[in-house]
Amino acid sequence: MFFDFHVHGDSRLALEARRLEYNGVAIIQSSKKYSQKKSVEIKEFDGDFRIWSGVEIYARNPEDLKKKVKKFRDKEDILIVNGGNLKINRAACEDPRVDILAHPYKNRRDSGINHVLAKKASENEVAIELGIASLIKTRLSSRARLLSQFRQIIKMHRKFGFPTIISSNAYSIYDLRTPRDIIALARCFGMTVEEAEESISKNPVNIIERNKINTVVKGVNIIE
Amino acid sequence: MKLKILPPTLRNDKRYISFEAISEIPLNRDDVISRVWETSLNFHGECKTSKFDLWIMKVWKIESIDNNVIKGIIQCSRNEVNSVRAALLLISKFSGRSVVFHTLGISGTVKSAIKKFIIIENQHK
Repeated sequence: MFFDFHVHGDSRLALEARRLEYNGVAIIQSSKKYSQKKSVEIKEFDGDFRIWSGVEIYARNPEDLKKKVKKFRDKEDILIVNGGNLKINRAACEDPRVDILAHPYKNRRDSGINHVLAKKASENEVAIELGIASLIKTRLSSRARLLSQFRQIIKMHRKFGFPTIISSNAYSIYDLRTPRDIIALARCFGMTVEEAEESISKNPVNIIERNKINTVVKGVNIIE
Repeated sequence: MKLKILPPTLRNDKRYISFEAISEIPLNRDDVISRVWETSLNFHGECKTSKFDLWIMKVWKIESIDNNVIKGIIQCSRNEVNSVRAALLLISKFSGRSVVFHTLGISGTVKSAIKKFIIIENQHK
């Protein structure tokens, strides 16, 4: 069971993902151009291939982030926060309502995650995303720098235990890759086979399962 | 805003390579960075170069009679020192002119690298 949780597009992209032997995708809209109607349109249930909808939040500062999380949390299955700014990274790791923190290393020389952020992320079960799209599009020294940022994130993952997710951040069919190829690539930058498989199968499922339970605070669930 | 420094147990192990570079035209730090990265990427590849944690720390210009000589310190991972030294050895050209890199020594701290290998005789750093 393989899932790709960061795909920008429409049902054509989802069909291609199904052809590449994924079992589900999450179609993500940007918070800058969000339409409620599209979110309802694309949710289909087609045999064993599921489509979820999500939103990627672009926030200017932590207060802006909190407002947007509050706004979108009830409407969408999956919440992704666009990382890169250290204050946003920190605010996202400290918020249990956030599902995924995408590319915390964007436009940075270090990896974006240190031991403080890693501990917060593992307490609040925020998944850190390793995006394959930037690996594909860069060359030479920026690609080497990206690989060392990935290694740093994996080192923190082994020590602190936050979930990792690998996704394609695809905008067209040319950005999608098959799940087995992604596992092979993950082994090249330091993950074990089990860690890589977990990142594209078990961790996405955990996110969905967690969101089905209506949680107020950790340990308190609303049943009805 | 910078990330807080990792505790000592989680830090990567480093070594500091002192090198000197003799060239026909003057080099500065940016030139050294681009040559070292380019040679390492061509020789070892992107995946292996990402393991080195290469960082050109500082470069000093040395007074010399007929050549342009600079000395500097490169930071790299402790396990990959030999690969970095090999990549430094293979640098031969810059902008069509000849250049050569020698490693003067390796040490565990910046201070001892400067003291042992970068001897400044009445020079302003």
